[in-house]
Amino acid sequence: MLHKKYIPQINAIFAAVLLLAVGCLCTVAYSEVPTFNYQKVPKTTQDLIAIQDALVENLERVRKATVSISLGEGFGSGVIVSADGLVLTAAHVTAAVGKELTVILNDGTRLQAISMGLVSNTDAAMMRITESGDYPYVEINKNNDYRLSHWVMALGHSGGFDEERGPVVRLGRILKDSETTLHTDCKVIGGDSGGPLFDLNGELIGIHSRVSKSMEQNMHVPMREYIKNWKSMKEDEFLGDGPFAKRPVKGTGFLGVSTTEIDDGLLIKKVGKNSAAEKAGLKTGDLICKVNDRKITLKAELKDELKQMAADQTITITILRNKQLEKFKVKLGSK
Amino acid sequence: MTHVSKLMHLIAASLIACAPLISAQTSLHADERINGKLVWQAFEPQRLILQESSAVIYTDGRSRIRKVYGIVVSREGHIVTKASEIVGKKNITLRIGKNVYENVEIVGCDHKWDVALLKVVSNEHFTPVDFTEASEVAQGYWVVSNGSASRSQRRVRVGIISAETREIRSTVSSVILGVQLGSEKKDQLQIKQVSKESGAEKAGLKVGDVLFSAGGIKLTERSGLVKAMIGMYPGDLLSVEVMRGDKKISFEVELMPRTSGPKLTRNEQMSGGALSLSKRRDGFPRVIHHDTPLTKESVGGPLLNLEGKCIGMNIARASRVATYAIPVRELREIVADLRAE
Repeated sequence: MLHKKYIPQINAIFAAVLLLAVGCLCTVAYSEVPTFNYQKVPKTTQDLIAIQDALVENLERVRKATVSISLGEGFGSGVIVSADGLVLTAAHVTAAVGKELTVILNDGTRLQAISMGLVSNTDAAMMRITESGDYPYVEINKNNDYRLSHWVMALGHSGGFDEERGPVVRLGRILKDSETTLHTDCKVIGGDSGGPLFDLNGELIGIHSRVSKSMEQNMHVPMREYIKNWKSMKEDEFLGDGPFAKRPVKGTGFLGVSTTEIDDGLLIKKVGKNSAAEKAGLKTGDLICKVNDRKITLKAELKDELKQMAADQTITITILRNKQLEKFKVKLGSK
Repeated sequence: MTHVSKLMHLIAASLIACAPLISAQTSLHADERINGKLVWQAFEPQRLILQESSAVIYTDGRSRIRKVYGIVVSREGHIVTKASEIVGKKNITLRIGKNVYENVEIVGCDHKWDVALLKVVSNEHFTPVDFTEASEVAQGYWVVSNGSASRSQRRVRVGIISAETREIRSTVSSVILGVQLGSEKKDQLQIKQVSKESGAEKAGLKVGDVLFSAGGIKLTERSGLVKAMIGMYPGDLLSVEVMRGDKKISFEVELMPRTSGPKLTRNEQMSGGALSLSKRRDGFPRVIHHDTPLTKESVGGPLLNLEGKCIGMNIARASRVATYAIPVRELREIVADLRAE
């Protein structure tokens, strides 16, 4: 029994030395790596409580910033990283730049959002809530000091939003740390995609990306990948060539109407069955006035505008129907 | 030339020797993972409680492959377990500590909660779990469950409380009446068969009866009966009216649990572990949600906190990321009711 007593003390000394060394190297103030991360494994109930205390201390705060993302069909997760509503998620959740999405806060509040830039080969993506507000947010771990074996927690809206249940938290360790992927034994599932992985200081270190059948294979995009591409993502760039999002190809978008030029503008003669136009509610007899911000009067102009667009992109068409102007959002089909 | 090739061999040999070292550094050893052997050692105090106060339950006679776990709840040898895993099984035996007990009675069943109360027939004194006095559990706290078991040893599996304690509604009707209806459109409401020992049989429904209403709603097609049972729990009573000849007769039918579980969702199929999910994994009035990776064979046992107190009973492996447990407050009531019956 005696020798057990000494082990934590020795560990504490060891950890203190390490922390001191790190402290000398780095002059910028930042949260320290918790002592238990220097232990190979917890040995006593006290060690377990130290892990639990760190998790519980940060949980309420990070829970509030964890959001569900409604994709119309299906759900993903995300995490707010600024008070004005910048959200980090996975590229396979947003799937495209400039796509309208709905963010759901824990209390059920639904907010309009739009996807920004993404990195299609590593699964990183950014989006922002377009409604102004003062949102709960988390800090990003910018020191890149998460390492193999560190204790971490995963949050996310597993299987979609459930107000009664709230976001789900799971505890685990970093099992593997490669350049663009963190592996942990925090078990994640569909709906968690895009959700946050935190260290036990409550700082964001990764975003859930994918799993394999083994319970131990849960993969996350590390924060350094976001930091590296931050500027491009903010500027709505589509980076990389898949596989997590398909680069839009201009000219592949299909509206599905045939038109004729009349004195007042461009008249819809026919709406294709099951076409993007039909799904959006366009009808024979509608007069097309505008596509996005461009005034349209000629067939060639409509064609030219659509040439700039890709399948799955959304355009706004202004229609004159019964002497009234109406705006329609049309998600283009593919040719 | 020979020198060079010798050198090459040496380098190659040293690379091979290094390879396991390198891989050991780039991924965390299985023993050090959250449910690794070395981490479990920190849970020895809780393991000792599972050793004395959890039961390994077998339903296959002498071959003794674990079916499910149970919790020792009295000195006299009362044990609660997951009912749907043992109901209908004739040959129930169990192990507590190192000892096997072959004389086990089923005292009663609570179908709503899927809990069965067993009693070991023995003069021995057993060590029941210590129920916690706290009624609420907080998210992020460690929880300890039964993992695997050998003849002499119980082992732990660990996790944390993951989400709000809440009701898990049934996605499909989790109950059955116990009748088969006609297949043709014109006789789809006529009873063609009454299942043995079902609620329908006990209530007195007969082959040839035609269903008229269920739960006060007139039935015109068979889907109406399914609708009438959604949200109801096994053990609940459903009022049913049937036409027998010209007479309309009313019955109160006790609903039985479905034997087949809910259909696997796409999410469950995709993400692995689908085979280890409990068949009955929804339709619970209130459960604790934790992230311990159990299997359908390792539920039924106690859920312990770090103090070694029992905070609940593991009742279902629900998905890749979730295990459900009956909270202690409800569990105490269930045990008291079953013992009083």
